Amino acid sequence: MLRKRIIFTLIYENGFFNQSRNFRLQKVGKLRWLEKNYKFQDIAFSLDELIILNASKKDKNMKLFAETLSNLADDVFIPIAVGGGIRTMDDAKLLFDNGADKIVLNTVLFTDKALVKELVSVYGSQSVVASIDYKVIDKQFKVYIQDGTKKLDMKLEEYLDYLKTLNIGELYLNSMDKDGTGFGYDFDTINKVIKGINIPVIIAGGAGNESHLISGLEIPDVNAVATANLFNFIGDGLAKARVGILNKGMNLAKWK
Amino acid sequence: MKIVIVDYGMGNIKSITSALKYLKVDDIVISNKPDDIQSADKLILPGVGSFTKAMANIKKLNLDKILHEVVIENKKPILGICLGMQLMGQSSEEDGFSDGLKFIDSNVKKFNIKNLKVPHVGFNQVEFYKDYKLYKGLDNLSDFYFTHSYQMHSDQNINQSFCEYGDKFIVSYEVENILGVQFHPELSQTNGLKLLENFIKNF
Repeated sequence: MLRKRIIFTLIYENGFFNQSRNFRLQKVGKLRWLEKNYKFQDIAFSLDELIILNASKKDKNMKLFAETLSNLADDVFIPIAVGGGIRTMDDAKLLFDNGADKIVLNTVLFTDKALVKELVSVYGSQSVVASIDYKVIDKQFKVYIQDGTKKLDMKLEEYLDYLKTLNIGELYLNSMDKDGTGFGYDFDTINKVIKGINIPVIIAGGAGNESHLISGLEIPDVNAVATANLFNFIGDGLAKARVGILNKGMNLAKWK
Repeated sequence: MKIVIVDYGMGNIKSITSALKYLKVDDIVISNKPDDIQSADKLILPGVGSFTKAMANIKKLNLDKILHEVVIENKKPILGICLGMQLMGQSSEEDGFSDGLKFIDSNVKKFNIKNLKVPHVGFNQVEFYKDYKLYKGLDNLSDFYFTHSYQMHSDQNINQSFCEYGDKFIVSYEVENILGVQFHPELSQTNGLKLLENFIKNF
């Protein structure tokens, strides 16, 4: 039976990892700090997958980002999806060469269709994840690109239809309103838009505790739940949550 | 022990290297040079992406002939991972039709079931009924990480294991020195590390 997944999203900015609060980043620590305080390699054993997003604002410094990725990827034996600032084939190659198993695209989905098609053709659709940042404004779902700074005219539903034409492997649906709040996922929107999406869907934004993860995993069309909440889940928080979720009989992978 | 990861320009080789290092393999070489491949104790054929493009790269580098020599004639153990597993079969329907390395009697076709989400992504349980050496110490229905849009079938006994997603398909084979896994052992936590350890120790 195909299992559902719990994913941790690490937000990276100029050499540091961050706690995101409604898209405002709070600096937490460097990789060393993360390793020292949180024994990341141990935490990875409670996860099905890791996503690392480069949220650096002015200069994405892909080289430094790739170095950090390379160090983090050692001894982490789960898939790592990496994104933020991918604008060229070379950017993608740099990340793949440094430990990315998949890449996460956001802005270029809208601005550079040719690049997306080339990435899919070279690396396969299963290696390309589409990330969508959205907000609810006057009961309408609005899509944002460029690190949440630019609003698109297209509605979320139209945008999802458009993405279908790009032959992408997975969808990462992030609620900017709920991001970092710890109040739970944006189930209203999720339930409205995910029916009929023919690729795996990862939901993100808002998970603050074990029961939020469970509520997400219980939605039939949701394939994975993601959280970027360092404070609530890192330490032994995530390990305990996973055990709790498995004890409730949820469909997650087990390993010896 | 010298393990050569065959480099034909397609594959996330870093995770495989990292797993082999963790398992204390002392000599890990990433190469497409005949000398390296011939002097290896064991080979890993990685790969993600397009079957057709992969075969084109392999032929361009003359790797099809070198691999045939060391795998079929010299019986060197080889483990194909994901696309690497598919490439050692007869053919794939990807991009129409494409010939494989033809070491194993199998074919690859697209997942084709209505309303089934493709690619098949995530941990899934692997069914194996016999005592395959690759799965020594692992329980039947152990979880491994998959990410693929094409699936393997065969009418022959290739010591196959299976996985169910939409329908049932082959996710590993073990024919003497020729081994393949559709899933990614290097991304499958302790279950995957155990399988890689079995490849290192039991073949």
